[in-house]
Order: sequence, then C-alpha cells, then structure tokens
Amino acid sequence: MRGIPRKPNAEQELAKARRLAIISIVYILSTICMLFFVMAGSQALKTEMTGEFLSLIPPMLFLLGDKISRREPNEKYPFGYERAVSAGYVGAAIALLAVGVYLMFDGAMKLVKLEHPTIGGFPLFGHVIWTGWLGIAVLLWSSIPACFLGRAKRQAAEVLHDKTLAADAEINVADWQSAAAAIFGMVGVAFGLWWADAAAAVLISLQIIRSGWSELKTALGDVMDRRPLTLDLKEEDPVPAQLTEFFERQPWVKDVVVRVRERGREFTAEVHVVPKGDQISVEKMSRAGQLACEVDPRLADVTVAPVTKLPDDVARARQPAEQDS
Amino acid sequence: MARLLRFIGAAIPMLLASCGLPRDPEKTSERVASTHELRVGVSDNPPWTITNGAEPTGIEPDLIRRFASSIGAHVLWTRASETQLVQALKEGQLDVVAAGLEKKTQWSTTAGASQPYGEDGQGKKHILLAAPGENRFILTLDTFLTEQMRASKRHQA
Repeated sequence: MRGIPRKPNAEQELAKARRLAIISIVYILSTICMLFFVMAGSQALKTEMTGEFLSLIPPMLFLLGDKISRREPNEKYPFGYERAVSAGYVGAAIALLAVGVYLMFDGAMKLVKLEHPTIGGFPLFGHVIWTGWLGIAVLLWSSIPACFLGRAKRQAAEVLHDKTLAADAEINVADWQSAAAAIFGMVGVAFGLWWADAAAAVLISLQIIRSGWSELKTALGDVMDRRPLTLDLKEEDPVPAQLTEFFERQPWVKDVVVRVRERGREFTAEVHVVPKGDQISVEKMSRAGQLACEVDPRLADVTVAPVTKLPDDVARARQPAEQDS
Repeated sequence: MARLLRFIGAAIPMLLASCGLPRDPEKTSERVASTHELRVGVSDNPPWTITNGAEPTGIEPDLIRRFASSIGAHVLWTRASETQLVQALKEGQLDVVAAGLEKKTQWSTTAGASQPYGEDGQGKKHILLAAPGENRFILTLDTFLTEQMRASKRHQA
C-alpha cells in the first residue's frame, strides 16, 4: 500500500489511527460543547476551550492528509503529494503559537487589571449548583480520556512512523497538565482567590505555545528535508548510517554520500557513488538500489547516481552543521 | 442509575457549599450577614424599575426586597445612571444593580450577571447585576432568582 512502511501490521494500524482521529474529533467537540456551557466568567476555562478548538486541527489534518498524500505522483507534482500535509502542519503550528501568545497576554491583562472572575450558579436537576464545580467535572472529562487516546495514538504513530501523529499523541497525553492547571484555577476561585483563574489561564496558554513550538519544529524539519530523526525528535534515525554502510560494503564502491529525506511516513534516499575503475554494470547498480531498500521497511525509494567525482554540494552533506537547530 | 447520578450531582456541591465554598474574595456575604444591609443601585427603566417615588418600585425592586429579607437584610437604595451604577459595582460600593437589563447586556463581562429571574413579553430573559467575582454572594442570589423563575413558571402552568 502506498504511503505506509512495509510492515505486516501497518495497514491495520493505519485503520486504527483513522478511527482514533474520528474518535478524537467527536470527543473534542463534546468537550468544547460542555465547556461552553460552564465557562461563565472564567478566563482559565475560556483558554482551555480555545485550546480544545485548536486541538481539533491535528486529527482533521491527519484524516485529510491521509487522503491527499496517497495521491499518485503526476507530471505536475512529480514527487507526489506528501508535502501538502507538512505545509498544512506548518500553518497549524503557527496558528497554535499565535493563539497561545494572544491568550497569554489576555490572561496576564486580567491579572494586571485585577479583574475578579464571576462564576455564579447553574440550575441543574432542580438545584442551583456553583458553576465552578461543573467546570471541574468537565475538565476531568477533557483530560482523562485524552490520556488514553494519546497513548493509543502514540502506538500507531510508532508503527507508521508518523511524526505528526506522534506530536498529536504527545499533546493529548500532556492535556492533563492544562486541565490540572484549570482545576487549580477553579479551586482557587472557590477559596476566594480571584487571581488563581487568570494565573491558570496563563499556564494553559504556555502549554499551547509549547505544543505549537513542538509541532512547528516537526513540520519545519519535514519541509526543510532535515536528516531523519526518531519519532521523539531526540535522536538521529539510524537509516542514513545503515545505508552508507551498505554501500561501503559493495566491492565496486570507492566513495559514497547518502542523503535521506523523510516524506511523510516514508524515506527516500539519494546516493552518489564514485565507483572503483571506469566500468560498472547497469545491472549491478540497479540491483544495489533495490537491495538498499531492504535496509529499512520505511525506505520507499533509493536513487543511485554514479559520478566520477562527488559534486561539491553533495560532498558538503557530510560536514556537521555549524549551528544545530 | 440516573437517580444515583442526580443524587451525587446534587450532594457533592451541597456538601462543599456547607463548607462555605465558594467564597467571596471581598467578603460580600459576610458583610451583609453582619451589617444586615444590602446596597442596591437602581436606574429608572419601567416597568422593571420605577424610581420617581419615595422608594423604588417595580418588578425588580420588589424582587430585591424579598431577596434581602430572605438573607435577613434590609435594602439601602442608590439612584443613578446605569453606567455610574456599574462602575460603583466594580469598585465594591454596591452589591446589586437593578436596571431592567436583558441577559445579553453589554455589562455582563464587566459585572457579575445573575441567572434570569423572568421573561418579558418577547421571551427575552431579564437579569440583575452583582458585584463581579463575589461568587458566594452571586450563588446565593442565583439560587433565589432561579427559585423565583421556577415558581412563576409553575404559576403560569
């Protein structure tokens, strides 16, 4: 199947990931609905609700991207449509950052202006209940299932090598932190500490900024063809080194530069080879390219280019980056 | 199951309420309880509020007098324009403002909007304003007003 790694359970996990995305959307919408009714004058709940709105984007992009990225390459888009999704993620990440910064100032202004949040009564079951208690109940609903959803997504992301899904999973798992901050705000207000609400709102906005930043890093790295990293973006992926080693082992290879790029869930590699001697059979070369694909199930395509001397730019790909980012 | 949920849903907040939660940051409820004075601002808007007599009359002043007596207080009236009253609410010089406001008033973010106490002929819900952030006090007011609303609905039916 196009667009997913050649692993036995990949298709199954993809179906699971799609189901999880749909569940996420329904679940987030339910949370937004409930938050809307109980937010009253709370800045923390307003911030949380905005955050929930933004967290609708990754599962929606996942479902949409899954359709678009699977389109076959053609004359106009010779490399296929995979990058469309990366571009979408750059946009989503910038939105997350911008809204996060706005909400941070909004919350900080409430603190500066000493605005006391008004949270009154809510008629329910023939009683009138303080809306803050209902807010806490909704916050629990917004965080505990999200944690399990995030874990399930993380598992699918690992099999599929889907970085955006992994980032989304991370945000879901971390959701309890913003919910905990908002609960702290509500409980603070219950004890008459008016500032707790806006302080919680600022904490939540910081969380939104942080997830925006992590998504931006993932998406920009993808668009800029950064050397592949592991899903958590902490370590280098072993594939480039493994490919280099594979080619160095070939008896006809004198020098080699391997450049691997991630295209969505798959890798493609460009390999410049300086062969020993002038004569080299076409068959040997194309066979080497095919065998190289077997190095890792995520490798979709390995292009081998024989050269007499490594082009300057290609040779520079071996030099370490001056500034690492 | 539903009855159990209803019981838990009502029991926990009532338990917390008996511990005195939520509290007022500026202690409005405690002050009213000790001075027996409810400071109310009223701005003329018949038939909701009528201020040309010696004592304010109309739907809202009547309602507020009943609320005051339910918490063992008497009313100190202040007559002024809506804007002045809202400002005084914000500064903590008043506890409640009655101005015949609808639920979607522009003041609902500046001051504490109460639960609706009734509807006008066009089905628009009417509210009172309370000192912002005095959540215990507002909860007491909301409870009273919601009961009024329910009573008037029962009366109509």
